[in-house]
Amino acid sequence: MMLEMTQKEEKFIIPIGPQHPALKEPGHFEFAVDGELVTDATVRLGYVHRGIEKGAEARNWNQNLYLVERICGICSHIHAFTYARGVERLAEVEVPPRAQAIRVLVAELERIHSHMLWFGVAAHEAGFDTLFMFSWRDRETIMDILEGLTGNRVNYSANVLGGVKFDVTDEHRKTILEAVDFMEKRTKHYLNVVTTDAMFLQRTRGIGVANLQQAHRLGILGPTARASGVKRDVRVDAPYSAYKQFPIKMVVETAGDLEARFVVRLKELFESYRLIREILNNMPEGDLQVKRFPRRIKPGEVISRVEAPRGEVFYYIRSNGGEMPERLKVRTPTMMNMASVLAMAVGHQLADMPMLLVGIDPCFSCNDRGVAICNSKGDHDQWTWERLRQHGIDFYAEKV
Amino acid sequence: MKIATMFSDVVGSFWKKPATVQYPFERVEAPTRLRGKLEWDPEKCTGCSLCSKDCPADAIEIITIDKKAKRFVMQYHMDRCTYCAQCIESCRFSCIEMSDEQWELAATSKVPFEVSYGREEDLAEALAKFALADTVETE
Amino acid sequence: MEAIGNIVSLLFFPGGLFVIFAGLMYEWLDHKIIARSQNRIGPRWFQPIADAIKLLTKEEIVPDGVNPVLFAILPLIALAGALTAALYVPMAGLKPAYSFAGDLIVTVYMLSLLTLSIGLAGANAKERFSLVGSTRALTQLFAYEAPFLLALLGPAIAAGSWQISEIVAYTETHTWMMILQPIGFVVALIGLMGKLELPPFDSPEAETEIVAGALTEYSGRGLAIFHLGKGAELIIGLTLITAFYMGGVSNPVWFLVKTVGLLAVLAALQSLMTRLRIDQTVGMWWRYGALLVLLQWLIIVVVQLV
Repeated sequence: MMLEMTQKEEKFIIPIGPQHPALKEPGHFEFAVDGELVTDATVRLGYVHRGIEKGAEARNWNQNLYLVERICGICSHIHAFTYARGVERLAEVEVPPRAQAIRVLVAELERIHSHMLWFGVAAHEAGFDTLFMFSWRDRETIMDILEGLTGNRVNYSANVLGGVKFDVTDEHRKTILEAVDFMEKRTKHYLNVVTTDAMFLQRTRGIGVANLQQAHRLGILGPTARASGVKRDVRVDAPYSAYKQFPIKMVVETAGDLEARFVVRLKELFESYRLIREILNNMPEGDLQVKRFPRRIKPGEVISRVEAPRGEVFYYIRSNGGEMPERLKVRTPTMMNMASVLAMAVGHQLADMPMLLVGIDPCFSCNDRGVAICNSKGDHDQWTWERLRQHGIDFYAEKV
Repeated sequence: MKIATMFSDVVGSFWKKPATVQYPFERVEAPTRLRGKLEWDPEKCTGCSLCSKDCPADAIEIITIDKKAKRFVMQYHMDRCTYCAQCIESCRFSCIEMSDEQWELAATSKVPFEVSYGREEDLAEALAKFALADTVETE
Repeated sequence: MEAIGNIVSLLFFPGGLFVIFAGLMYEWLDHKIIARSQNRIGPRWFQPIADAIKLLTKEEIVPDGVNPVLFAILPLIALAGALTAALYVPMAGLKPAYSFAGDLIVTVYMLSLLTLSIGLAGANAKERFSLVGSTRALTQLFAYEAPFLLALLGPAIAAGSWQISEIVAYTETHTWMMILQPIGFVVALIGLMGKLELPPFDSPEAETEIVAGALTEYSGRGLAIFHLGKGAELIIGLTLITAFYMGGVSNPVWFLVKTVGLLAVLAALQSLMTRLRIDQTVGMWWRYGALLVLLQWLIIVVVQLV
């Protein structure tokens, strides 16, 4: 009798994560379910907090370029790009136009590989492994191009402060154009699959709808927001780098469901293909780097925004005139989108949860930068930056 | 609304070679720009140590034996290297290069990861110095 | 002499080792065909055998809060059910080892023991993924079981007997049943996919939602035996459908050709479809599957009366 009572009062909670086949990175979600229906959702993040912002304060401007590149494994170039743009503006250095075009070229290639990766993962979450295998096979052509162009498959390290490391030769141009043609053909096919396959549409159409009001209220970013009709894209709103010369069209859908998120991302790829062709055919001539980039940067602060594959990446950089930044603050899109998953989850089936989660293209290691300390009593306590800093100082003072 | 939209892919791939590359048995040639193991040329080095200052992973040590005679030894900690190529950018005398052939660098012990570059006599001297320093420390 | 014959048929052929081994080989073939259809290479032929041996030799962890007797005995019941069913089907194109009037019903219910055991095994555990998985497995059982059974009874009615050997004798001498009763064939084929929890009916073990479903807590021997049971079910199900709907299995060569052909169709269907949610699975079976098979029955009855 007692047992029945307690069971009735307690919610039946399905935990997803920190280790779970649906998540390739650690994050903890708790879905309270009634049968198969989700009635409540909570999230706990912070499993991959690596102290990168603090670490950046102990490294010089050049070294930080590679530290921020490792914030995200998939959009590594975007982070280095945002950081480099901020530092260059702080140092009042003008980057040569050819270097800017190459940066944007790599950024768009990265967007293709990131969206294809997401596409495959989302198909896998839906249990459509054939689509997963084929999209990742095709993604490999872009990975090969990036490897041939930059020398590495993942952390391309294309940027240096004041330019880029490498040039795009005619040979590269030819292989990239060929690959883009191939990818365009395949993307058309995939767009056809996600918009017409009856079995797949059963899992995406009308699932996880976030309408325009909700999207604005939750502050959703990136393709997830554009699927709900929010016209928000840094490349269009505040063109930066080579996007000024090579403008891009914003892709907006209004349905706001999972299908719209698929469609927005795939249609964005067509824009990327167009832009890559345009850049390659109208590559500005000139240097790849500025002659001399200062090692010490004069005091000041700067904000740098870039549209990553997942949404807006935001950097705040402050210099006190030394060889190292005084403060580096990063905000990645996943953090902003996470709230939308919890809001959309309620009222859906448990089986839709992995797809909803993946729908925002989460990157856990990107967003884990805040720290919530749980003490042994179990109550949570938010630490301010000052307190954290003081804790660090005391900790090391004690050690010495 | 259609069903089986992937039909052509599925049936078509029976007549296609699998995309899988069975790596250790079947090798794809690495691109020439691939960033592999560092190579250092002692003849051009001026000992400015910019490479080691800018290295984000602390993988390079430049040991000065005789600054006037430009005798330096480079201690390269391959296990720490992230292959980012910043040292190549930082070096103004282009004495650092990255190999596109040596990229299969896994090993079962730490020993192969400690690489020393330099002229032979410099290396010997650096080694003697280190040995001395080690004994001093242990005493 | 009869005793030796019984022992052979129970331990080696058609029950016992033969079914287990053949099941593993068919499982490999299934994986291989799917891999090739996805432009991959796929596993080598001994992969399922290696997996089974590895699991059998590994330590079995009995989790807290389960009934240890049930935990140990459920996989054995599942495998025993599948192996018993193998005795009544014309395995490898040869005559069934045992036969009596109405053995079709017994066989079909022996096959259901596996799903039932998996459901109970999940409910036995405290693990939340297991509980959800077992709920889904049992829900799915109620969805496909009736239409699947009705679809298998179609040829039985045409043959006028519920004894497998007599039905096979009838189908061998007549036009292929898949031409005469196409609806029944499709329902039986898809029912087999539901029974084996193959995609798109794999929501009871959907790894991206509930890890491994009802078997999440199983490791080592228990998992291996469930696995062997599933392999045995695969081959028995294929044999039944081939024998009933594809002109019987008169000799081992025809048996091999027909079952492998059917398996290829199954594999292609698996690689073309997205996983259905459990509510969609149940909806599909009762809204379409059951009605279609009843329609098939109506047609059979009308044709026989005329």
